[in-house]
Amino acid sequence: MKMKKLLSLTLVGVMAASMIGCGSSGASTSETKTSDQTTSGSESSSEEKAEGSETVASNGEKLVVWTLASDLQQFADKYTEETGNEVETVVIEPADYPTKVQTALMGGETEPDIIVGEPQMLQDFYDNGFFADLDELGAKDYEGQIVDYVWKVGQDADGVQRAISYQITPAGIYYRRDIASEVFGTDDPEEIGKLFADYSTILDTAKTLKDAGYRIFASDSEINYFSGDSAWVVDGALNVSDARFDYMDLVIDLYQNDLTAYANQWSTPWYQAMSGEVPILTAEIQNYEDDSVNVWDAEAFEEATADLEKTTVFAFGLPSWGVLTMRDNVGETSGKWGVCSGPAYGFGGGTYIGISSLSERKDLAWDFIKFCTLNEDTADWWIEKSEGDTVSLISALDKHKDDENSIYGGEKLYSFWLKQAEGIDYSKVTKYDKVIGDAWGAAIGSIKTGQAEKEEALGTFYDTIESTYPEITVTR
Amino acid sequence: MKTIKRNSKLTAYNNWGYAFVAPFVIVFLIFSVYPVLRTLYLSFTDLKVMGDAHFIGLANYIRVVTDKFFWKALWNTVRIWTVNIVLQLGLAFLLMMVFSDIKYKMAGLPVFRVLYYLPNLIAATSVAFLFKTLLDWRFGTFNILLNSVFKAFGARYSPIDWLGTNATAGHTIAVIQSWMWFGNSFIMLMAGVQGISKDYFEAAAIDGAGRWTIFGKITLPLIKPIMMYVAITSLIGGLQMFDLPFLMSETASASYGSVQTVMMYLYKFGFTSGTVQTGYASAIAYVLFLIILSVSVLQIRLFNRKEK
Repeated sequence: MKMKKLLSLTLVGVMAASMIGCGSSGASTSETKTSDQTTSGSESSSEEKAEGSETVASNGEKLVVWTLASDLQQFADKYTEETGNEVETVVIEPADYPTKVQTALMGGETEPDIIVGEPQMLQDFYDNGFFADLDELGAKDYEGQIVDYVWKVGQDADGVQRAISYQITPAGIYYRRDIASEVFGTDDPEEIGKLFADYSTILDTAKTLKDAGYRIFASDSEINYFSGDSAWVVDGALNVSDARFDYMDLVIDLYQNDLTAYANQWSTPWYQAMSGEVPILTAEIQNYEDDSVNVWDAEAFEEATADLEKTTVFAFGLPSWGVLTMRDNVGETSGKWGVCSGPAYGFGGGTYIGISSLSERKDLAWDFIKFCTLNEDTADWWIEKSEGDTVSLISALDKHKDDENSIYGGEKLYSFWLKQAEGIDYSKVTKYDKVIGDAWGAAIGSIKTGQAEKEEALGTFYDTIESTYPEITVTR
Repeated sequence: MKTIKRNSKLTAYNNWGYAFVAPFVIVFLIFSVYPVLRTLYLSFTDLKVMGDAHFIGLANYIRVVTDKFFWKALWNTVRIWTVNIVLQLGLAFLLMMVFSDIKYKMAGLPVFRVLYYLPNLIAATSVAFLFKTLLDWRFGTFNILLNSVFKAFGARYSPIDWLGTNATAGHTIAVIQSWMWFGNSFIMLMAGVQGISKDYFEAAAIDGAGRWTIFGKITLPLIKPIMMYVAITSLIGGLQMFDLPFLMSETASASYGSVQTVMMYLYKFGFTSGTVQTGYASAIAYVLFLIILSVSVLQIRLFNRKEK
């Protein structure tokens, strides 16, 4: 009888275990994003057409836009307001975007009319013939009106214009002017830029700041945007330049010598570091294999960091759209920031707009692209609407070159970004960059955290490239 | 003359049969046969995403067998599946023994059967998100509970990153898979046991056979075909494992290399932007098919030999 009771208890136990999932699944799903896609139909009557507008009339047809940046939804609304042409905008998560576009176009769908891409997706889109030829629609007439590197990113291997972006995204170092004055005796962007001139200088700057009680960066990923000064693939061969190894060493040094605040990029403490003091999370705290300190629950985190030194972070490395990120997070430090150049010219992201090669409304779609990228009124509107995004239309940048940004102590950011953009050499960008860059990042990550020796990590890196792209020659 | 007439009538009547099976055959040809043949064709080409496919012979197959990441992925799959099947079948077996014991005569089998099967009804996506939340390194319920237990005993608990380290990620996924599937195996095994005539058990009991003897000499041999079915279907499903490991891992995570299964590897070349190589993905699919086929044949032979 006793045995039976024991068995019954065991059975109930197993049952309870199987019910865990049933009971908690509601809570789990409620935490997930409820919608990956949002559809917004921007409708307006033709009576709202702008006076003297040279735009194409839609003849009652609706333009369908698939985008991964919600910004384009605002452009679509504005376009409808100005022209009366109806636009349906579908915002798709960036991770799903290439697959969805690929599925739609390979399935012969004539919608969407407008598709977009970030630089790392574009080469594949071009090679697969997803984007229509914009030169046939007259894009050539506008050459020289858009910042050079953006114009070139929008061209395929044969130099045919396939996409245009409304923004430029050169990278810069956002730094605290007050700390710069205190530690280095100057807050001049030119002078501070020299402290970030190359990787070894950055390491010295980091050490100086640490001695002064500050940390150079919140995370060790801040220089990533500047690390692409050489092409990953040259003449079909993998090219790991000395600068790549220097970058690797810098990241490892920053991590292993506690030169950052150990806040992972895009994490809450990383954003908090923009507005003031944060605890310095040492390598031991970050290392979950070490049982000395718990940092995984809020209470334990408070406890563990209570006695730790606090610091203020000196700088962040971000593209020009970082202006908007900083705007939302600097809090009381507003006005104390400056922006200077980094160790190399680099850029990150950017939404490039093109027309689906299967679209049946190419003229209307081209009209929409011109409205978003080549229209000075739109550029003015967007600068104001976005509160500081950097447009790609040269005439608009010229017009705003003397605009002062109060968050950055009145610095003239538009002229700064234009200068940075002029230095970008797009010929160094290849379609392999995303995958190779990720593999390189994984190698750096495993070395810095001690999960792999340098040789082993590099071996895995080379193996990954070889197995993913057999067409690339890998010399170790 | 009569016979011929009757035959032609019969033939005309039989022709209606083709009409009735036509819808299925058409759908089967379009959605099953064509993709299988098309994939076979593509596996001999260099097709990337769109554009022309050029015949390249066995190059893709040579690449698969010499690709160490493919074998690593296969090893990961087998490792996760082995832990999973041992736990899944072990638990199902244990429950089957308890519920089929003629002495205990456990009540409520229909209720327990439903309850044990419930995890299998939850979509894999929900299961993945649920366990990702529960097992979160810093904020997950499991670690918080373990921490409280350790604290109660005055010890310090170092939180385990269940899904983030090589040592635990694969096993964690295997345990969750077992939790999802043990109810299914249990139902199969119980069906097998219930198919055995009660006379055998009663006769054995009268002859004085003990519980273990009955289990070993009657139950086990008679449910072998069911066990074989469970093992083969589980192996076929296991080697194609995708949803849970895919949803519960992140490419940037340090543990990704230890949970990337063959299907995830195929997905990388079939669908992930930047690495799409349709020809190569097709070859991986066929190599996996051949592996599953060989292992299944081997498994059936092994079972048959034992039976003999």
